[in-house]
Amino acid sequence: MDGYPAGMNASQQSSSMEVKEDMNTQTESEHQPSKDALIDISFCGATPLVWKVSDMKRCRSAGVIGALVGSLARQPRQNVRLGRPLELLQEEALLLEDTSTAAASLQTQDCGDEETHAEAVRRYEAGLESSYKEQCALALEDKKTVLRRIMNEKENGTDDCGSAIRDRLNALDQAFRFPLPAMAVQLCTARAGFSHCPEERSFHSTDWPMPRDERLNTRFCVYRDLRNKGFYLTSAGKFGGDFLVYPGDPLRFHAHFIALCISMDEELPLCDILAIARLGSNVKKTVLLCSPKKCGETGNDESVEGDVVYSSLQWSSMV
Amino acid sequence: MADRETATDPLKHRVYEELLSPSELFEARSRSHKIPVRGQKDFLPSGSEQQTTRLQQSLDEHWTLLTEERVERLGNLVKAVWIPDERLVELQSPAGKFWQTMGFSERGKQYLLPEEALYLMECGNVQVFYRDLPLSIQEGYERFLSRETVTLHQYQVFGHLKRLGYVVNRFDSSSVPSTYERQLNLPASSWDKQRKQLKRKRSGSPVSSDKQNTAPEEKMTTEDQSEELVKTDPRLEEPMQSADASDRTWWMEAGVQPSPAQAPSAAPRWDFSSISFPDLGSRRSGSVSLASPDPSLLPGALEVGGCDLSLWLSRVNVKQEKLSRRDRERQRDRDRYHRDINSDREVRHCRNWAEYLQLLEDRRRRRQKDRPVHLWEQEVTPLTQPGQCTSHRELLDQISIIKSSSWSEGVSSLSSSDQWKISFDIYQPDTVAEFKKSHPGKPYTRMCVCSFDGPVPDLNAMKLLSFQSGDVPVTFAVVDHGDISFYCFKDFKLPTDAY
Repeated sequence: MDGYPAGMNASQQSSSMEVKEDMNTQTESEHQPSKDALIDISFCGATPLVWKVSDMKRCRSAGVIGALVGSLARQPRQNVRLGRPLELLQEEALLLEDTSTAAASLQTQDCGDEETHAEAVRRYEAGLESSYKEQCALALEDKKTVLRRIMNEKENGTDDCGSAIRDRLNALDQAFRFPLPAMAVQLCTARAGFSHCPEERSFHSTDWPMPRDERLNTRFCVYRDLRNKGFYLTSAGKFGGDFLVYPGDPLRFHAHFIALCISMDEELPLCDILAIARLGSNVKKTVLLCSPKKCGETGNDESVEGDVVYSSLQWSSMV
Repeated sequence: MADRETATDPLKHRVYEELLSPSELFEARSRSHKIPVRGQKDFLPSGSEQQTTRLQQSLDEHWTLLTEERVERLGNLVKAVWIPDERLVELQSPAGKFWQTMGFSERGKQYLLPEEALYLMECGNVQVFYRDLPLSIQEGYERFLSRETVTLHQYQVFGHLKRLGYVVNRFDSSSVPSTYERQLNLPASSWDKQRKQLKRKRSGSPVSSDKQNTAPEEKMTTEDQSEELVKTDPRLEEPMQSADASDRTWWMEAGVQPSPAQAPSAAPRWDFSSISFPDLGSRRSGSVSLASPDPSLLPGALEVGGCDLSLWLSRVNVKQEKLSRRDRERQRDRDRYHRDINSDREVRHCRNWAEYLQLLEDRRRRRQKDRPVHLWEQEVTPLTQPGQCTSHRELLDQISIIKSSSWSEGVSSLSSSDQWKISFDIYQPDTVAEFKKSHPGKPYTRMCVCSFDGPVPDLNAMKLLSFQSGDVPVTFAVVDHGDISFYCFKDFKLPTDAY
């Protein structure tokens, strides 16, 4: 305990924040079908979700981290590493929308008339059948390679054994059976192929189902400002703040700050600040009080640097 | 598929970009199931070569893991169909191991609740079809999760706990015996029977409370029971005392017939812990009817008819109550200060109500004979009697005006809130082996789902929830942007021996 001095005061100091060079450029994804394709955000209730890996890569290169909330395909029954979908913060989704790199797609309607649907079912079944045939051929090939390898290994061994294998190899073409249950099928993660109808996207891209209230505006101003300064942000609910602020990609770096968003005219009881400052020092992070300079009034969305005032609490000992 | 190679325009490409080709599917059968470990994080980006490569390595790993699609052998997949109108998933092929803890059958068909189906889709156990096409996980999220089934937040908690191995069922308020039923010592088996009749499906979504199952106790208490009890009331041990406040309210409420339409209040209308009922079960005498009592023994112009017990005895559980040793000790302690009024000879000598009142008055006089009149015979009297307390603590206990109360007290008077609802029953992973869906037993805890944006439950909500939950603790799951934390409130008893 660092003993409270009798005349403690919360000193407002504007912390000097270094502008980090943007690290976005490094994470350019290898193959992007087209630059202007929008990131597809699908809303589940009010929660923005991203499903396609290509979209997630584009999010990341825009510095939007999000949080994985699904089971991991490789090992679904654990919570250490999670998989798709990627859940976005409202602020993250807003940033993507503001920079027009994303479009919202809403609930799937049962799209298409009976005919196109029947066509889709036909295509799906035909695909399944051709996939089965191809996998049969692959399995046969696989088996043959195995047998040939054994044969080669046994070359110098007894002739008996070698010829037995050769017979089996020859008989394989007729006798080989690849049972249907052994066929591998894909359980798609993102909506794909047959069930997708392209009209739907243009149909819905106009409505953005998020109401923007005062609180969200404040948080968004802070989020955008910190992001523009090159920081990476994630949610800080468990630290009692709004955002955790990372100097680099959260995959590799620890967070330095806990950002608490308070609008300029909002009163905050000292004990609240005390509590979160205590918590911050416990987890070795600096608590930042972030107040946008009247976000709504500046009006123009192109925010200039310094639009947000950052301060932190420091105990000053006056003995 | 064939389109995959020929797809040239960007939209087509996007539609098919995550579909695997047959050869990729075939190769996926032998892929690794290991999860790479994450290394130590750095403090500050220095722009060094080493950091850049390590970041790139982590990112590559990250994308490899995420890009991986679920590939299963067709034979290992349980086929199912989504029925939007019933908000259920019906199995089309025999269920797998998951059937031990999930799903239910009705009319000879096997169903999964949407959250169970979605979880099993994510685990690669079930393939759900809708209009003859398989649903992707994304479509599962979009179609299965709603206010009427479970919300995304609730599903996230469900999935989190399932992945940890817990058994998670929707909370069904009718599965919890009310305090009244617990007091009546209803055997557990009759509960299970009742539960079976109320199919799991009927339990409704965890969000909307189930209005229909305001348990059977309400029906019993309103009409038929009150009538019978009025008749047997004089059999109560202390007619004088028991006729005060708590009973009076009961009598009054019984007179005002509650319209069945106002049934939805989840809590029972009466606090049964303060109403004493005649113990018919322990009367093994064999007489099946109580004769009408002598009218001269009754106060005022009360008319009491006879009571046919046989009807009651057939309804009431008359099995010998099994008491634990502690219960027996407690009972003995109670009995020591509690004499049956019928064994009091002086009372038996009274011939009518007036004589009984006279006797009580005489006794009171006798007891207070040696007390100063100016202290004891006026409106204001001392808080305690001489010789009654032997320690400070006892004295303090006796004169304390504000009593500490526990959560379970006085809940019946509270109105239920819509904001707080119990969503799930949770059973621990180590009980999975013996878990039976038909006899789930007592849950380890019950789960409420809330978010960081919302408030912490107030005391009113807390009391209601813990009352609803019975003797099972209630845990709160807070969902914050994919991150789930749990908390619970515990009844805390302050130490009373601090002076």
